[in-house]
Amino acid sequence: MLLRRATQRVRYLHTASVASSVNADEIAHFSRLSSLWWDEHGEFALLHRMNPTRVQYIREKLIEITREEQGEDVGRSMEQRRDVLRGLDVLDVGCGGGLLSESLARMGARTLGIDASASNIGIATAHARGDPELASAGDLVYRNAPAEELVQEPKRYDMVCSMEVLEHVDNPAGFLSTCAELVKPGGHLFLSTIARTPLSYLLTILAAEYVLRKVAIGTHTYSKFINPLELVSFFSKYSSPSPNPEVSGKPWVSRTYEHGLPTRTEAEVRGLIYVPWSGGWQLMSRGATPWGAAECNYLFWVRRPSES
Amino acid sequence: MSLVTARRSWSQRIFCQILYQQRKAPCRAFATESIQDKDVVIVGGGPVGLALANALGSNPFVRESVKVALIDAGDLSKIRDWSLPPDMFSNRVSSITNTSRTFLEGIGTWAHVDDSRTSPIREMQVWDGISDARIAFDAAELPASSAAESSEMARLTENLNLQRACLRYLEGMQGIHLLQKVRVESIQREVGDNGWPLVHLSNGTTIRARLLVGADGFNSPVRSYAGISTYGWSYDTQAVVATLNHAPRGAFEKPNHTAYQRFLPTGPIAFLPLSPTVSSLVWSTRPRLAAALCKSDPAVLASMINAAFRLPDVSVRYLHDRILEADAAGKTLSRDVINDEIAFRERSHNISKYSAYASVTSALSGGIPPDDADSIPPLVSSIQAGTTASFPLKNSHAEAYLGEGAGSRTVLVGDAAHSIHPLAGQGLNLGLGDVECLSRCISQALRHGGDIGSFTALRPYASERYFANHKVMSAVDKLHKLYSSTLEPIVWARSVGIEVLNELDTVKAALMMDAGGGRSTRSRWELDFLARGVEGIATGMSAARMLRERIGHRS
Repeated sequence: MLLRRATQRVRYLHTASVASSVNADEIAHFSRLSSLWWDEHGEFALLHRMNPTRVQYIREKLIEITREEQGEDVGRSMEQRRDVLRGLDVLDVGCGGGLLSESLARMGARTLGIDASASNIGIATAHARGDPELASAGDLVYRNAPAEELVQEPKRYDMVCSMEVLEHVDNPAGFLSTCAELVKPGGHLFLSTIARTPLSYLLTILAAEYVLRKVAIGTHTYSKFINPLELVSFFSKYSSPSPNPEVSGKPWVSRTYEHGLPTRTEAEVRGLIYVPWSGGWQLMSRGATPWGAAECNYLFWVRRPSES
Repeated sequence: MSLVTARRSWSQRIFCQILYQQRKAPCRAFATESIQDKDVVIVGGGPVGLALANALGSNPFVRESVKVALIDAGDLSKIRDWSLPPDMFSNRVSSITNTSRTFLEGIGTWAHVDDSRTSPIREMQVWDGISDARIAFDAAELPASSAAESSEMARLTENLNLQRACLRYLEGMQGIHLLQKVRVESIQREVGDNGWPLVHLSNGTTIRARLLVGADGFNSPVRSYAGISTYGWSYDTQAVVATLNHAPRGAFEKPNHTAYQRFLPTGPIAFLPLSPTVSSLVWSTRPRLAAALCKSDPAVLASMINAAFRLPDVSVRYLHDRILEADAAGKTLSRDVINDEIAFRERSHNISKYSAYASVTSALSGGIPPDDADSIPPLVSSIQAGTTASFPLKNSHAEAYLGEGAGSRTVLVGDAAHSIHPLAGQGLNLGLGDVECLSRCISQALRHGGDIGSFTALRPYASERYFANHKVMSAVDKLHKLYSSTLEPIVWARSVGIEVLNELDTVKAALMMDAGGGRSTRSRWELDFLARGVEGIATGMSAARMLRERIGHRS
């Protein structure tokens, strides 16, 4: 949501500081910048509050899938654990200051956070270093690279997350293909973004940016917003590149039902709403999705079919 | 609406020699020390701090994910091994509401409480010191759903009994590090931007806290570190506590399960049952009188307590004046002198020697009790040696429960966050409510990969508890002010209020849920109900006072 704006500001601060102090200690510099990303009352307050809800969704979805595939007992024992991502390779694309990456690492994932901005990577690294739990485990790594660079490498991930990034990229279809390519067979792709509706214009641009000034003006561009059904339709056509060019792969979303929504085991759209009086974000129930619950912020999950 | 918690200020004991240092001062002196990392550092081993340690340790999910340390300057092993003969009781007691008890049972602490040293409260008698308007609460009137679960409104327990239970439970718990006989020398912010709190201890170690919990009482050093100020006021009141011996209730009387509270204009006096022959006193009164009562012969205090529950206000005031005069002259009154005074007063008020309201002149000796025997507590025969003490009362609320900026990664619970008048017996219960909410919040944050020291993770705790505590605190504060008044319209209005209340069963049931009931999940709205009811009465009171002032001006 705020990535672009943050990148701009951070970049500006970076150059300013380099110009003024010649021997600036790089780490000290980044940790000073980190106050921008990690100030829980500042410009990113809404993002901080959204984070637990996004993680809640990831957690619930993984437990749901596990329960379905490995039975009720395994699912229940997973609910009693904090480290539900233990043993998984997880990629956070557009990690920013590392809000989501840190949470994923705490849940046991071998996490790689990537961001196109070197400043963001510096901030995220400095912040994680300050947390003894994350620093000692060594399961959290940040890298300054675009997702396209990782596609060139052989490593693939059990889970790829890209939260509040899609609405800022110039070529969403290309970006989605890149993210999808990084997912292992049977792995998960989690996205969150904003729908292109009158309501979202009202809330995220008019109210949040211009009226309430909770978010910097220019953070969002209405035309870049993407509707949930556009994502579903993208993955109905998308199939992973197959090792055997003769056989065309299975599309990620094989069928849709009324309202154009996919099967729960293939993909899912869940609305995410900000509740001003409680000051927190709430995950809308699955049943609410066709009735306009995903008119503004929403989460999207899709799974790459297993190769069988 | 009666009952009491009487607790000492933990911080005074824990931090007598604390050194406050500048928050951002570089900590070179400590640079060579080894630093231990703990996720939750609880400062203060009072009932609230210990209950929090229990709550965190009892949840396997939390226990596996976080390292917890609890620091107390006192010798907690003495409390763990504390024991008294069955007929002797400590003077610090608390009423545990059904809600609090359900919580303590849920986390497993209650199983370690010595049940034989606790007493159920099945009935409460509350009356006006001037008009004698009376309201009676009976657990049998609780809504059917909760009455089935418990026929009691609250349970009275010694604080030491509860603390001992917490400590015994902690012994078998993995992952909770108990640091006793260790003082917190200072708390500093770590140099650097992440700035975690560093807790320097008197044994030379330093602990870096992901989350620093202030369960360290009214003068909370954690609160000072966090830079959180408080607002509130001291009541011009001291609470006198003592453990009282009395004869058991007779065969034709109800058992000693009734709590009594009389609202004298100088403050409420409460009688709280502990066993058939022992009860606890909490008498809130003017500081000078409190001091004089504590100094006087225990037999005199016993006579004064009996008189305070029985004689009309004018005579109670006269007796207080006699005590104060003697104290001012540097003398103490003998038991015979005070008993003569009381006997004279009883005769002049035409109190029959066969009435329950007679104390010195009473000719009752078991057998069939008088009609009014259940409306006042049994006659105090003596006071257990060394149990008389007093402490000041105040109403104070921290401006925030979470530290921000330079004081981030701190949270306040219990008396560090709020001090309340004991008249409603809610002090410890509010603290236990904090513990329940904070432990739930921590568990939830862990579930969602959160940093449990972050403001985001703890925000729900602050928003839920601050308002809930504030409502109870202002209701109790208003009740105190309401009943300190001797202005006639106010006495009239509050007496009518209390008499009307006594007739309205539903309103009463709502009040009772708050003063100890509330096992059901509906207790929250019933609490709101209480707060609104009391505010309503208080608004009426101030209107009456204004009216009187206006009328006074004109005439």
